[in-house]
Amino acid sequence: MRLAVSAASLALLALVVAGSAGGQESEYTRKGADTCLSCHEEQTTLALFRGKHAVPSDPRSPFGHGQLQCEACHGPGGPHSGRVRRGQERPPIIGFGNDKPTPVAQQNAMCLTCHDGDMGFGWQNDAHAGGEVACADCHVSHTGSDPVLKTSTQPEQCYECHVQTKTRMRKAFTHPLTDGKMDCSSCHAVHGDAVDSDLLHVTINDTCQTCHAELRGPFLWEHAPVSEDCGLCHAPHGSNHPGLLSKRGPLLCQSCHSQSGHPSFAFESDGLASEMPSQYLLGQNCMNCHSQVHGSNHPSGSGLMR
Amino acid sequence: MKRYPVTPIFIAAITGLAAAATAAEAQNVDTSEWICEFCPFEDGSRGDYFLGASSVSDDSAYLGNASGYDEEGVYANLDGEGSATGEKHRLRWVLEDLALDSRFAALEGGRPGSFDYRLAYRELPYRRFDTTSSVFAQPAGDRLSLPGGWDPQPTTTAMADQVGAALRPRNLESDRSIFDIGGRYLAGGFRVSADYRRQENEGVRSLGGSAFTNAALLPMPFDYVTDEVDIGLRYAMRSGMGSGFVSLGWYLSDFRNDNTALNWAHPFGAAVLTEPAGYALAQAPDNRYSRVSVAAGYVLPDIATTVSVSAAFGQIEQDAEFLGYTVNPEVDAEPLPRNSLDGEIDTTNYAFAVTSRPIDKTRLRLSYRYDERDNKTARDLWNRVIVDSLLSGSPEQNVPYSFERSRLKLSGDYDLLDTLRLSAGYERRDVDRDFQEVAEQTEDTAWAKLRWRPFQAFEFDIRGGGSKRDIDSYNETFAVTFGQNPLMRKYHLAYRERRFGALTASWSPPETSVSMSFAASYADDDYAQSALGLVEAEESAYSLDLGWSITEKSTAYVNVGVESIESEQLGSASFAAPDWVAENEDGFTTIGTGFRIRQIADRVDLRVDYTHSEGKSEILLDSAAGGASRFPDLETTLDDLNVRLAYRSSERLELDLKLRYQRFETEDWALAGVTPAAIPVVLSLGAEPYDDETIIVGLGFRYAMGNGAEE
Repeated sequence: MRLAVSAASLALLALVVAGSAGGQESEYTRKGADTCLSCHEEQTTLALFRGKHAVPSDPRSPFGHGQLQCEACHGPGGPHSGRVRRGQERPPIIGFGNDKPTPVAQQNAMCLTCHDGDMGFGWQNDAHAGGEVACADCHVSHTGSDPVLKTSTQPEQCYECHVQTKTRMRKAFTHPLTDGKMDCSSCHAVHGDAVDSDLLHVTINDTCQTCHAELRGPFLWEHAPVSEDCGLCHAPHGSNHPGLLSKRGPLLCQSCHSQSGHPSFAFESDGLASEMPSQYLLGQNCMNCHSQVHGSNHPSGSGLMR
Repeated sequence: MKRYPVTPIFIAAITGLAAAATAAEAQNVDTSEWICEFCPFEDGSRGDYFLGASSVSDDSAYLGNASGYDEEGVYANLDGEGSATGEKHRLRWVLEDLALDSRFAALEGGRPGSFDYRLAYRELPYRRFDTTSSVFAQPAGDRLSLPGGWDPQPTTTAMADQVGAALRPRNLESDRSIFDIGGRYLAGGFRVSADYRRQENEGVRSLGGSAFTNAALLPMPFDYVTDEVDIGLRYAMRSGMGSGFVSLGWYLSDFRNDNTALNWAHPFGAAVLTEPAGYALAQAPDNRYSRVSVAAGYVLPDIATTVSVSAAFGQIEQDAEFLGYTVNPEVDAEPLPRNSLDGEIDTTNYAFAVTSRPIDKTRLRLSYRYDERDNKTARDLWNRVIVDSLLSGSPEQNVPYSFERSRLKLSGDYDLLDTLRLSAGYERRDVDRDFQEVAEQTEDTAWAKLRWRPFQAFEFDIRGGGSKRDIDSYNETFAVTFGQNPLMRKYHLAYRERRFGALTASWSPPETSVSMSFAASYADDDYAQSALGLVEAEESAYSLDLGWSITEKSTAYVNVGVESIESEQLGSASFAAPDWVAENEDGFTTIGTGFRIRQIADRVDLRVDYTHSEGKSEILLDSAAGGASRFPDLETTLDDLNVRLAYRSSERLELDLKLRYQRFETEDWALAGVTPAAIPVVLSLGAEPYDDETIIVGLGFRYAMGNGAEE
């Protein structure tokens, strides 16, 4: 009985102390980042101070004046930093990354607290969000140079999940991602966008023509599939065929062209250089003559030869 | 490890607002003792610079493409990055490959939270072939001429000797330079951004020029400039009702090409035009694309819903002056209907998306988008001159292609269990086209997916579905006006049934420090109503990825990918029913492996990466006239080994050694043995299949300046 009274008294005392401490405040550490860094002194943690998240002069930064420092992202760390009994599990804080037990939604919510504006709300509709990809699966915040924001290192980050794209990018003919001169976000809006597309611009052709503007036209003589979708003939992630073509000519062209005469002939292997060299097979095959396959602006160019 | 229940991502938005409230409560947290005395804030400047040299053993267009190491020799290496941080201003800079043709430099800075800016410059070399040669000289940027005294002959066989004597190396390559400048200004909920980018692309590419039954592959010089401007205004708001944004944007892309024509002298005897007039090919005309866009989004936490809408209105203009029908004064060509295209395309794009979590364990998504390309270019009759010699006599109308495309998507997720999620979706695509064989096309797609995540370290997804693409009718009468066999069904217009499936599994058991993932995908297209053209296509891909954190300082990985793309198409040499069939099979295998060991004896980092990839394309053609004909396999083989060794002699100084071995080999019947005079009626550039083996050895020093080395 005496023991029960003592326990009740202690509980009451605890409630009074908690009340006087001011509710929420008691959940935070007593000294903010100094409390955290007294244990977390490893370089990977301290690297935070090289990046944009630790800029005292930026009022939006977690380390801006009056902000919650480490706890702005990791949540209140009071219980986590308090004493624990031997064998007792230390109360968790919000952790980031796929090796942390914090649910992805909760991780991302912390990031979106500040970055919802950057995401353009495309994020909420994006396949990454739908697939429960954590921001920290791609981004490193404890660094001065986030690999996914750097052209030369970004593709490797994306390939962590997009393994089949990684494979395709190793085909003989690709865009120069492997050399670190172009990145996935050169074409893709990786956070999604309001137009329900993972591309940087509103259509695939708009995106391709950012760099290949010479193909935009309109030409006097257009090639119908070109004006509609570059992907009808090209495999942008890589191909065994030059020009990122999805198939070797003349068969690619003959998938659509069946005019009487040479467009519909069966060009066989006796047309190779060792036998009877054929202009329909060798060199640039159909494009030896019909070289303006993306369109011609020549008044006599209706056959896309001028 | 404590396991949390799987929570749909939509909670992110809601929790985000809750978290925002928590941040606001910072005012109620006593932070007076949060002085951050242990915080190593950046102050002053720091930098990390690399100076070295690399020796390249051999010429290689393949290796040199994008990297800049295209020729045998010694290259200087200069890289670096650094930052300077003041009380209110920050600057960061990056320098990469400064001494190579692939150089990059960027500077970004600003006052965090107030404004930022960025300047960048990149050069990107494109190296296609270094085995090509040509008889053509280039006396001017838009002109290719033949050597003096050239004696035109009817075939390359007859001109072989003079071709051999006149050939000069002419690499097919170009260099793109990209200059970028932009900035953002932030004030309250407003953000204003402005970016300008200039791309200059100059070089030589191969372009076929033809007259009568002969052609020559021309080393076409080109010099393109594209200016882009992108301006945006955005306002983000947040209230008790939710949060949202509104944005306005304007984008301009202006392409210019100083050369409207490529004038070239025909080397064959059938030519009717000789220099100085020569034949003329039209080059890419100047064009301009401008687009205005508006977008808005809102999160409504009370009903767990996110809504976003957008609209974009663009215009493409092209009004470059036409070349004449012919440069041959002997032909009595008609006057052109107009002197330039006065081409105009209006583009319209709308999109709408709603994501909602109306009840627990459920997520619904609806989206719709509409794209329109309205080519308003006027139509005229053009009485072309064939090979600068003959009036066609059958005037042709130009065809300004337009289309409207819409896509409606509905999908939903339901958590059957904490560890099991079922998803399903439906999609409808409609395409309406002008001036094509199919006016209206509809595709319905349905799919379902099951995700099982019994514990955090394991996830298994399986997805499958099918689609049917239907058309109103395939207008054979219209196809015939273009000379097509009425049985032909173009694959992007044709009726099609598709089945697809995918499977992924990933496992990262924490006790073993091993992670592995497997992915497989399959798609099968059946063009059941196509009598000619593509009738069947099948694609499958498999990949396996293993990673192992051997110790805290060492990791290793291996990944394997296999892909197959098969198709079958029918043709008719007799311009009637199918009388030949072609089967294509592209196979591709890649293996990547490597390891990394850090801080060997506290001073040495070693990284080794090796990639082997090989592609093989098989073509089998079987015709009624010629029987079965199998082409030699088209093969590409790439071996790429990279070794990097870094030795830290002090906190600031590091010695770096790199070794790269690359072998790239192709078997390509389109190029093998095709010397410039090999094809009797085509004078080619003689590009050879790749057979490059290159070793790069590099040595240099990395020095960290300022207040500490990079982490």
